[in-house]
Amino acid sequence: MIAGAWRQRFVARALPYLLIAPTLTLVLMFNVLPAFNTVNDSLYKPARGLNAAGKPPEFVGLQNFADILDDSHYMGQRFLRAFRNTLVFALATVMLAVPLGLLLALLLNRPQRLRSLWRFAVFYPALLPLIGAASIWSFIFSDSIGLANAVLRSLGLPGLNWLGDRNLVLLSVIIINIWKQAGYFMIFFLAGLQNIARELYEAAALDGAGGFQQFVWLTLPLLRRTLLFVSVISFTFAFQTVEQLQALGEGGPADSANLLLYLIFQNIAERRNWGYVNAMTLVLIAVVLVFTLGNFLLFERDERGR
Amino acid sequence: MIAIRKRMLALFMLLSLFVGAAYAQDDIVIDFYFPSATANDAEGIFQGYADRFAEENPGIRINPVFTGSYTDTRNTILTELQGGGAGPDVAVMLSIDLYSFAEEGYIAPAQAFIDSMENGEAYASDFFPALMSNGVDEDGNIWSIPFQRSTPILYYNADLLAEAGYDSPPANNAELVEIAQALTTSERHGLLVPVAGGFPIWMYQSFAIAFGRNIVDDDPTAVYFNTPEAVAAVEFLRSLGAELGVGPAGGAAWGDTPVAFLAGQAAMIYHTTGNLTRILNGADFEVGVWYLPSGPAGEDGAGYGAPTGGGNLYIFDDGSKSQAELDAIWKWVTFLSSPAIQADWGATTGYIAANASAWEAEPLASLALEHPQYLVARDQLQHAGKEFSSYATITIQGIINGTLESILTGESEDAQAAMDAAQAQIDGILADYR
Repeated sequence: MIAGAWRQRFVARALPYLLIAPTLTLVLMFNVLPAFNTVNDSLYKPARGLNAAGKPPEFVGLQNFADILDDSHYMGQRFLRAFRNTLVFALATVMLAVPLGLLLALLLNRPQRLRSLWRFAVFYPALLPLIGAASIWSFIFSDSIGLANAVLRSLGLPGLNWLGDRNLVLLSVIIINIWKQAGYFMIFFLAGLQNIARELYEAAALDGAGGFQQFVWLTLPLLRRTLLFVSVISFTFAFQTVEQLQALGEGGPADSANLLLYLIFQNIAERRNWGYVNAMTLVLIAVVLVFTLGNFLLFERDERGR
Repeated sequence: MIAIRKRMLALFMLLSLFVGAAYAQDDIVIDFYFPSATANDAEGIFQGYADRFAEENPGIRINPVFTGSYTDTRNTILTELQGGGAGPDVAVMLSIDLYSFAEEGYIAPAQAFIDSMENGEAYASDFFPALMSNGVDEDGNIWSIPFQRSTPILYYNADLLAEAGYDSPPANNAELVEIAQALTTSERHGLLVPVAGGFPIWMYQSFAIAFGRNIVDDDPTAVYFNTPEAVAAVEFLRSLGAELGVGPAGGAAWGDTPVAFLAGQAAMIYHTTGNLTRILNGADFEVGVWYLPSGPAGEDGAGYGAPTGGGNLYIFDDGSKSQAELDAIWKWVTFLSSPAIQADWGATTGYIAANASAWEAEPLASLALEHPQYLVARDQLQHAGKEFSSYATITIQGIINGTLESILTGESEDAQAAMDAAQAQIDGILADYR
């Protein structure tokens, strides 16, 4: 009897741990352990395990971090540029793709002919594999044979060197990202919109609120959680961008469109840079972590306040 | 349930029996990794070579593994080796990968194998010297064997040149500019040099060599990126788009260039010999091919020049392989670099067959007779120089590419200053090796 009760209590206590054990093991093995390795490896120069020029790697403390933040250092130049680009890219995506997704959702939430077709057309880019879509865009942006320039020239405007002009290439990458993401975000907003009770709008209409007022005072506040969620994922997606760059000139010319994760990927090729690669990875993780954590805390507080 | 399991087990055992039978125990298996940078059916071709080799060499089996692009191949091999895996026995990698793999101790020099051959001297000297330059270290030891090689050449639309009154292609930079300007219209570029898109260094080297000095020599710890010749070369290249307007400012993209040429939107282009077959087959006009024009030094032809490019055969051994395995590996390497295979590979892909006697073998000999353009690519090799390679090749190549792009796109106006800064960074890296 006592043994049975004890067993029951044991099972009740241990069961949750047993249930998360497989996931926990995987997370430890593939996330936590590599993260610790990354911290350790970031403290060596040129790279742990490489005897460059016959010399063993040296423990250099935070020197790798100092180098990647130094504008005259070859890696620092690239890192600082990619970091700036990534911020611009992330902010542009959040500030343009998210409102566009919301606008599309509002337009396509209303009953109209061929609504499903329109929704599908807008969502379609999200279904395409990014590397393929970006390759198609590389043709569209091509200088002499591209569609974008054909349109410009037919309007009597000069063609632009979309992927060759250092001032345009980041913009080109941002355009593709917005095209790709807006339809995806629309789905979240559509779901959010359909969760808002019809009666609220009916009541507001009875009280004399027009369409714009309904949007500002009803729709937006009730979509707050969706908006926050979509903004967070769009920001973190931006930090994970690699495919477009692979298809569109590899972040060039002169890194003018290079982004953080792609820069890290590029530098894995030579082991003597792995000290820097690990340092850059930690900075990337730190930024995403701070952002996600900040949002999470805001979100939690918001929930508790209700 | 149990019955099904038993049946599955029986099936599995039966299958493994077959597999076991097909893979005889005593066979030496050579893992051969290869990239493909062409649209051809490289997998099919290599399987054909492997079968042919197996017939001639009982007891040795080749396992050809397609590993993507050059970069993918390199990363695959590094990942396998650094993770403690076996890696390939033989692989095709860029000829400029030599020092990074030698530094890690992954590859074995071919020199020892050549020395052990009866006719080693003749074997090695049959390769075009320019194609050997990237496979040899500063002490003259041969590490890798040329396999799929290329150089940039000048393609010109002979019909357009003739219309404008030019019977022959430009021989030097002055003529190049003159003809390019004469053939530039609002619909057409006079000259496209593909330096946009991440990898300007290769085309740039053509100009550096033409201006009188390559940016590398035999010493893998030395780079000459801020010499007067190096600066003049990039300034000339920049002027083509920015001042002369014969091509887009900042240069053309790699993939666009042959497309524009075939569409009649470019009168002349610099591009790889690797595209020769495709361009000859795709053009509805007469395609001319000539040496890259010489630089200012070249009244006597001295300023001709192009870098070489492409992939070599590397032998992987960390010292643990048996003599029998090494012998088998070397047999496969000599098979792939034999005149017969080089002639076949060159004719099907457009790569320059790497040894002189391959050009007398079929099917290449007839092809060259039919299309003399192939011979131009071969003959330019006498003027060709070493492709950029040093210790820390990829890192330094990245610095050079970034600097060239920032000059060509107008971000760095002062070319000399930008190249001095780059040279200082490069010297900082190479100081470890000096």
